[in-house]
Amino acid sequence: MPRARVIRDIKARATVASAEVVRQAFRYLTHNTELPAKVRAQAQLQLNAFPRAARPTAIHNRCLETGRGRGVLRAFRLCRFQFRIKALEGELPGVKKSTW
Amino acid sequence: MSQVPASKLVTLQKLTSAIFGNVYNPTNARTGNKILRARLVGPTINSYYPNVRPIKMREITRMAPEMNLIDQAEKVRLEDLAERKKRGKGPPKKGQGRRSTLKKK
Repeated sequence: MPRARVIRDIKARATVASAEVVRQAFRYLTHNTELPAKVRAQAQLQLNAFPRAARPTAIHNRCLETGRGRGVLRAFRLCRFQFRIKALEGELPGVKKSTW
Repeated sequence: MSQVPASKLVTLQKLTSAIFGNVYNPTNARTGNKILRARLVGPTINSYYPNVRPIKMREITRMAPEMNLIDQAEKVRLEDLAERKKRGKGPPKKGQGRRSTLKKK
């Protein structure tokens, strides 16, 4: 069972994916300066009515192993500790320890 | 060099935009088109975590009821419950619980 923060993030991701098309439509209305001001203001209100999790900025990449939210390497989706452990174990193809 | 009237230059601009598939927008007004042009990020965002939800025994039995599979853990649980009930440790009947008996006194 993943950690609570990871579950929250999974939920937020699902919300973003489901609300994205409608949100982008409202975002287009607000950003189009050629539309009447009333329409744009209403679109802004509609955008505010979405839950916080519907915004892509609410998403935070987390470690797949531990759920840690900081120091996550995007390419491996692992936090720095797990990355080190797995790299030394040889579980990450192409990753090699170097010294100089 | 002959003088070209400004109105002709405008029509030229419009024609060029039409020919090359550009939007004629001389004042550089913000039309929000970049939002419509943007790629949808939802599928990528949603596929960050691998789907590792463990499959429950109940789901299997529900999917294939003709196989008559027995959920061993559930069987043990029900047996334990029956055992507890035999010893008088089962749930009290409605109106027989601790709270309702306190009220009656």
